[in-house]
Amino acid sequence: MTQPHARATTVSAIALALAGALVLSSCSTPGAAEQPGLTDTSVKIGTHQPLTGPAAASYAPISAATAAYFDYVNDQGGINGRTIDYIVKDDGYNPATTQTVVRELVLDDDVFAILGGLGTPTHSSVLDFLNDNDVPDLFASSGSAAWNQPEKYPNTFGFQTDYVTEGMVLGQHISDEFGGKTVCLLGQDDEFGTDVQSGLEKILGADGLAEVQTYSVSNQDVSAQIVAMQAAGCEVNVLATITGFTALAIGTAAQLSYFPQWVSSSSGADYGPLAGYLGDAAPLLLEGFISDNYLPDASESDNKWIELFQDINDKYNKGAPFNGSVVYGMAMGYLFAEALLHAGKQPTRESLITAVQSGELKGSGLVPLAFSKTDHNGYVGAGITVVHDGVQASTGERWVRDGDKVVAYDKPPVELLSGGVPSN
Amino acid sequence: MSTVLLLLGAGLARGAVFALFALALVLIWRATRIANFAQGAMAVTAAYVAYLVLIGTGSFPLAVVVVLLAGAGIGVGVERGLMRYLPTASPLNAIIVAIGVVMVLTGLLGILFGADYKPISVPFSREPITVGSLAIVSPYTLFVFVVIAVVVAGIGLLFTRTSLGLAMRASAFDEEVARLNGVRVVRMRTLGWMLSSAVGGLAVLLAVPTELGLNPHSGDLLFVNAFTVAIIGGLDSPVGAVVAGLGVGVLLTIVTTLWGATVGPIAILLLLVLVLLLRPQGLFSLRKARLA
Repeated sequence: MTQPHARATTVSAIALALAGALVLSSCSTPGAAEQPGLTDTSVKIGTHQPLTGPAAASYAPISAATAAYFDYVNDQGGINGRTIDYIVKDDGYNPATTQTVVRELVLDDDVFAILGGLGTPTHSSVLDFLNDNDVPDLFASSGSAAWNQPEKYPNTFGFQTDYVTEGMVLGQHISDEFGGKTVCLLGQDDEFGTDVQSGLEKILGADGLAEVQTYSVSNQDVSAQIVAMQAAGCEVNVLATITGFTALAIGTAAQLSYFPQWVSSSSGADYGPLAGYLGDAAPLLLEGFISDNYLPDASESDNKWIELFQDINDKYNKGAPFNGSVVYGMAMGYLFAEALLHAGKQPTRESLITAVQSGELKGSGLVPLAFSKTDHNGYVGAGITVVHDGVQASTGERWVRDGDKVVAYDKPPVELLSGGVPSN
Repeated sequence: MSTVLLLLGAGLARGAVFALFALALVLIWRATRIANFAQGAMAVTAAYVAYLVLIGTGSFPLAVVVVLLAGAGIGVGVERGLMRYLPTASPLNAIIVAIGVVMVLTGLLGILFGADYKPISVPFSREPITVGSLAIVSPYTLFVFVVIAVVVAGIGLLFTRTSLGLAMRASAFDEEVARLNGVRVVRMRTLGWMLSSAVGGLAVLLAVPTELGLNPHSGDLLFVNAFTVAIIGGLDSPVGAVVAGLGVGVLLTIVTTLWGATVGPIAILLLLVLVLLLRPQGLFSLRKARLA
């Protein structure tokens, strides 16, 4: 009579033992809760980037450079013994596609974190999803102020200097060097343009800009805007433009024999691609071209970081054209490697966020990073660069933001240590 | 004054390119009653062929000739290889296949040439031509006008003064009657594709030097603008395409100057809505609109 009962007990005991064994075998690090995308030997992260479509021309090289940097790190044994498995998904710079591919990364590929999701409209569309799912959303690639909302989006962090700060740095330089001249702005007809404008006006005053013109990326003819700036007597023209439109503005003005002082936000100021667009006339048209940058310039070949990045680019990136996008992508990779190192030997998503907020990350830039519990901005200021004889180089002048003003920054830039692979 | 003239010149130059591309759409519509959604991608492919020639030889006039030949070749390829096998029951068939052609061509160009912009420089001075102290128009703009005028005049002559043009018009007008009268309708259709595709390629090649450079997507916006132009002018009216093209180019420049770049495309769409409400067959169309 008791036999069926005894058999049932035996069966359930075996089942329990099997289940226990299963749990143990799947839990390779006893004690720590299992982390998505993380094993003892690797960590899987993902990103969304425009690899096809109209935005690919400017931005596709960035993730290729990040991947090359990670290949380099992996060949040196990875970070804390883990190699970095970097999945790049193409969103064609279309927010609807961004949502699809980021869901795939998080739900199907089980990534540990998202790194450097590119673009303001694209990445804005996945902020809620990533934060609802507690996925670390590190170093979003654009200067939008949206990344810095620690209360609302505790998992999201910026990377590059935000556009308002860039406007303030450029405004300060203009006010120091070109006082009394007529200053004007050509800006993209979105947050990029308006943020740079608000930064400039913080420094130059509400009436500091004599003329503000906008362009739309869907229209590659800026002659109307340039003619208006010429008519307004603009002498110093600030550009809040993406690289192609920087070239269009300068080229169009030259066709009208109009040669003002150009001052550009870092987003559209990369010498290599600019020279590509402008062709043979580039050295002449770009001489004296001023911009800001928070990373070392690609053409500064005596900078240690640039030397290393160029080396990695040759060995791991098939010698792709070495420009600001490559430096950006590798600096992004380095900063993630640093964050992963500081997240500890058994990192969790929480410890990664804590590491970024700890203030211990140094990055590879000319100015410090802002990261703290209450500030999720990336680089906190910028240096001034000038083109001279076809070389775009830092003048050494650097500014960091302090509330509604900028103050000079004179600490030495971050030194390159241990071959560019962060280690304790 | 100089400013106004320069802007007018820029507007007309841009409008001329719209007109040329709209003309390509009109040509194919007249010949086959197909709204060719692949026109942009086909034209860009032809422009890439011309780009290779330009790099190899450095001769822009030669590139212009090559783009016409390559365009015609691509037109034959798409028509003979694909379009003629489609059932004509629904106009959607042609549209969907054309969108497929766009994806294949854009993808192939991306694989072969990469996504970056290939600047095309032209052998013209960058300085505007001045009369007295007035800057009027840049030499390249002038060149674009001349080329487009020649092409439009040539097409006009072809259709109104030659027996080939008559045969093409006949087969477009009534296929069956034309066939009964000995017109080789199928061949006329192929010719329509050749002509249209060549003209479209030329439009892209002329537009690229004023833009960032050649890219697999160089034809996208041009196609959208020119399609709007063709509808405004009347899809079966070459004259309509030219006049509406120039008008839209000038409108775009004026609106951009007065109200900013964001408003430009909106103004064009508003104009399109107005035309569709008031004269749905297009401004210059001779036929009644097909309402069903």
